[in-house]
Amino acid sequence: MKELIKRLVEVSAPSGNENKVQKVILEELDGHIDGYRFDAIGNLIVWKNGTSENPKKYLLDGHADEIGLVITNIDDKGFLRVDPVGGVNPLMLLGTIIQFVSRTTGETVRGICSFESETFADAANNQKNPTFDNLFVDIGATSRADALKDVRVGQFGTYEALYIEQNGKIISKAMDDRIACAIVIQVLKEIDTCENTVYGVFAVQEEVGIVGASVAGYDIMPDMAIAIDVTAHSDTPKGFKRMDLCLGKGPAIKIKDKASISDRCVVDHLTKTAVENDIPHQFEVLIFGGTNAHGYQMTRSGIPSGTLSVVTRYVHSPHEMIDYNDVLNSVKLLKKAVEN
Amino acid sequence: MKYLKELSEIYGASGNETEVRKFIKAKVLESKKIDYIKEDHLGNLMCLKKGKNQNKTLLLMAHMDEVGLMVSDIDEDGRLCVQAVGGVDKRVLLGKRVAVGKENIEGVIPFKAIHLQNSEATAVPSWDNIRVDIGSADRKESETKVQIGDYCHFKTVFEEYENRVIGKAFDDRAGCSVMLDILEAMDDLPYYNLVFAFVVQEENGLRGSGAVLKHFNADAALVLEGTTAGDNPELKRERWSTHLDNGPAISYLQSGYVIDRRLFTAIIDTAERLELPHQLKGRTVGSTDTTRTAKSFYGIPGAVINVPSRYIHSPVCVMSKEDYKNTVKLVKDIVMNEIFLKSLEV
Repeated sequence: MKELIKRLVEVSAPSGNENKVQKVILEELDGHIDGYRFDAIGNLIVWKNGTSENPKKYLLDGHADEIGLVITNIDDKGFLRVDPVGGVNPLMLLGTIIQFVSRTTGETVRGICSFESETFADAANNQKNPTFDNLFVDIGATSRADALKDVRVGQFGTYEALYIEQNGKIISKAMDDRIACAIVIQVLKEIDTCENTVYGVFAVQEEVGIVGASVAGYDIMPDMAIAIDVTAHSDTPKGFKRMDLCLGKGPAIKIKDKASISDRCVVDHLTKTAVENDIPHQFEVLIFGGTNAHGYQMTRSGIPSGTLSVVTRYVHSPHEMIDYNDVLNSVKLLKKAVEN
Repeated sequence: MKYLKELSEIYGASGNETEVRKFIKAKVLESKKIDYIKEDHLGNLMCLKKGKNQNKTLLLMAHMDEVGLMVSDIDEDGRLCVQAVGGVDKRVLLGKRVAVGKENIEGVIPFKAIHLQNSEATAVPSWDNIRVDIGSADRKESETKVQIGDYCHFKTVFEEYENRVIGKAFDDRAGCSVMLDILEAMDDLPYYNLVFAFVVQEENGLRGSGAVLKHFNADAALVLEGTTAGDNPELKRERWSTHLDNGPAISYLQSGYVIDRRLFTAIIDTAERLELPHQLKGRTVGSTDTTRTAKSFYGIPGAVINVPSRYIHSPVCVMSKEDYKNTVKLVKDIVMNEIFLKSLEV
């Protein structure tokens, strides 16, 4: 599965620009699904038909988009100004590489994030309180005209970062939420025949405001929707002490976050499946954040929805770290859950 | 911009759009160019103009509401406590005239005279201290004129000079006005079915627009907005949102929704083909009704074209006539041609 994960995280596909990663997902699923479609706003919906006479419908969601930046201005000297696409902390950007696709050559153009600093006081303040007002991206262009050969205002970019496998962990950009895409793909690959129909939704624009989910849910009307997403961690030095979320302790069955309370049926179903099959798992009460489960709960007359989380360190940084065993156990758990 | 003056001067804060709707409906009926009119329970006004090609439908949308104030309490001395309806900058309120209640009586937002001020001169006023003075002697007298829940609207006379117009509520009466201009001047059928939707309650949370999709199976939404300029000289040029006279501003990202890339590209291509001045909006904060229509029912992709306006959400907005005219030209070309909806077929 590591190759699949690597392939997915290395695609640059920020919110609103998911097409590239959805193509890879379709290639991976070739021969493993009974059909697929793209809806009007760009969600990729795939399915595997159930064998029973009136099959129940399970929906597994992994959002296709990742956070990024968008160019808002190019100055006379060719420096770029940017705004966040989704929850990007400017503090996280200092010294990182941002990748764009060149308008003319189609090749990757890289920019370095840095901050204005006219005086020592400025430098100290801007590094302590970085904002998108004092941040710029440098692609090495010598003038506005030079920069315009590669980029223009309104163009989107993402982090560029190494893919690392080490000590049972995988580290990369865009684990949020390609790890879920990988899990959903793997579940669909491993299901041979199943009584229930299983839908995979690779939704658009989760990071900017849970856009795709409600529409996919309205369309599919599943009996149960499970969003798979990354979540925070508490297992690093002086980690968040009001939460208990550890890498390697298994998939986290979400009870609650800021945007939704998981339907009790979903929580019980996942818990029972994990216990019966001896799959390690943990429970999650996240005191912030939200997932596509919110979108599924808010559409139609409300779809019973919940979230299965992969505990992830350094979410929304260029180096999101997950435990590979958590991923394997998530696949195991979801496969058993949808078969039941 | 035949109707911009009247549209700007009508009072219609969020939830109180009746007068705006009546005006627009009358003009739509006078034009005799509409095939079907629908008003829904929320107060949205939707007008269908059938196209040459009826297998697709484009939704043009502008919101009728503006920001304003609402009376929340009456003091013993007769002055009114208010809260904001939509995003109102408290700093611009002091010393302004407002029209209060159903009878639109005179109101003034009082402040301490400069002679009596020390440090307050630079402080941002608090809602706790902002009042509306309607000239009554005490609470009892005020109660005969207004009641809790009454609206207060900015009072601004629309003015034109050279290439500028000044008025209130260009966000989003400018959009409404662009739509009426396009409808009136429509001598030929639009390429596809066209719905002119004038929606309610955008400013207090995009509440009206979702319901439009209940009545029309649209393929995409094109929202027309009066948007912020933010091109004050004291602000960094790199962080201006738009600049007056640079043409209609096209959005690519807004709070809660990334503009559909295909539609965005179709707009740019159209502007370039027409050799119209245009600009890309430099800021991504703030939202429009496309965020709502993308998420409602089966969801439709959307895009936004803005007329830049200085000082929006205040009693005095300033707009460029040239920008307005170029916006009309751009949107007109889009509805008369196939490129916009055709772009979605890829």
